[in-house]
Amino acid sequence: MIRLNNIHKSFDGNEVLKGISTVFEPGKTNLIIGRSGSGKTVLLKSICGLFEIDKGEIWYNDRDFTQITEKERKKMRQEIGMVFQGGALFDSINVEGNVRFPLDMFTNMTSVEKQKRVEFCLDHVNIEKKAFRLSPSEISGGMQKRVAIARAIALNPKYLFCDEPNSGLDPETATVIDKLIQALTKEFQMTTIINTHDMNSVIEIGESVLFISKGEKEWTGSKTEILSSGNQKLEDFIFANKLYAQMKGK
Amino acid sequence: MDFFFHIGRYFTLLKRVFARPEKHKMYVRQLFHEIDTLGVNSVWIVIIISVFIGGIMTIQFAYSMSNPIYPKDLIGFGTRDTLILEFSSTMLALIMAGKIGSNITSEIGSMRVTKQIDSLEIMGVNSASYLILPKIVAVVLIFPFLFIMSVFFGILGGLVTGPLAGVVTVPEFLQGLKFAFVPYYITFSAIKSLVFGFLVASVPAYFGYYVQGGALEVGKASTKAVVNTNILVLFFDLILTRLLLT
Ligand SMILES: Nc1ncnc2c1ncn2[C@@H]1O[C@H](COP(=O)(O)OP(=O)(O)OP(=O)(O)O)[C@@H](O)[C@H]1O
Ligand SMILES: [Mg+2]
Repeated sequence: MIRLNNIHKSFDGNEVLKGISTVFEPGKTNLIIGRSGSGKTVLLKSICGLFEIDKGEIWYNDRDFTQITEKERKKMRQEIGMVFQGGALFDSINVEGNVRFPLDMFTNMTSVEKQKRVEFCLDHVNIEKKAFRLSPSEISGGMQKRVAIARAIALNPKYLFCDEPNSGLDPETATVIDKLIQALTKEFQMTTIINTHDMNSVIEIGESVLFISKGEKEWTGSKTEILSSGNQKLEDFIFANKLYAQMKGK
Repeated sequence: MDFFFHIGRYFTLLKRVFARPEKHKMYVRQLFHEIDTLGVNSVWIVIIISVFIGGIMTIQFAYSMSNPIYPKDLIGFGTRDTLILEFSSTMLALIMAGKIGSNITSEIGSMRVTKQIDSLEIMGVNSASYLILPKIVAVVLIFPFLFIMSVFFGILGGLVTGPLAGVVTVPEFLQGLKFAFVPYYITFSAIKSLVFGFLVASVPAYFGYYVQGGALEVGKASTKAVVNTNILVLFFDLILTRLLLT
């Protein structure tokens, strides 16, 4: 479980996060939605410590991430898996090398054990053996995202963060990625946080949804409640998409 | 103001670069990889440039000393000392800043803009150290070798070109090579090449590490890195020459 308490973050006087408090539960796909520029990426990066926050508390179960030492943070990072917008695979190493990298860096596994783990992870994201030796530039965008997910779960993380995991993919592949993340979340009981501005994702896997607007929490709830939230800003966001406007009309 | 900002951030970065590595095995693996990509791949260009410059220098020395009052020995002597003192250390560093330096900036810079550096950080890897330390060590290790190689092939270039152009005979050139040889010049230039190696790796790494934006900015950063490395190399050349040679 991750609990945020009154998170503030600004860049040179530009206040991007204005006191966000919420809870992300384990075994669930927790979505953060909001317009482009609303602060989703900044929030996610703040939660995992890539940005230093100005004020507030970030609780990982019973540890306050803002209060622990740099050394403890480093250890904690190994409990975190992250999938970046675009995948961010290491382009100088091949597919299996990417998944093996965290194992090389942080475990004392033998090479046989590592190979097994690599195959386990890649198999879980449905990457075929024949793609193992290809370099990231030789595989499709959808595959890159899946390999990035495999790399993120290599160390068996308790927390999985995904920044727009399905941006730039066709709707069908996007749904496959969404479902995959949800399945992995259930299987390994991770606390998963997903940034998205894709309403399809919300309808598919929005077990718990946090809507932020201009750095403020506007609404939380689940996908079943979202179409009847009564929140004006949220409605504007959702019904910018004509399809959902029609659904609402029905 | 900008200048002090960069200096400060450069040293902050260096402090992170020289922090204790997470896993030595991974660093050693990177080191060999870097020696291969940055060093071994530069051997040919160093040989080609040195042979040509050595040859050209010999012909020019011969030309400017065509007056019979100058002994022919001076041609080999001049070629040797110019190679050792300036060309194979300083000029080579300037050329390598263009080759190795821009390579380092664009590699690290594109890792920055595609969030690969963020990926490393989130895993708990010290990205500055993991990406930059092996490059610095590799370049500092290979620079003295490139220096020695450049002197050797420069002299070879002179030895072949001079007699072919008919401006000096082989025995005259060899005689000149032995004339008034100061072994300390070699030490001096080897020290310079160590310093230059450090600059040629660390300055471009700095520019790449802090790129913001996209592919366009990576390109701009490469150019900036090469220009600044060149200025710094010349600046340190001046300082070291003043300190060690006079
Ligand atoms: N490193 C930074 N320095 C300064 N300002 C930043 C930085 N990162 C983000 N911002 C600012 O924070 C605001 C929120 O950006 P953020 O990237 O979180 O948006 P987002 O919700 O993720 O948008 P998108 O859906 O387009 O990814 C923007 O106004 C941006 O300019
Ligand atoms: Mg974003």
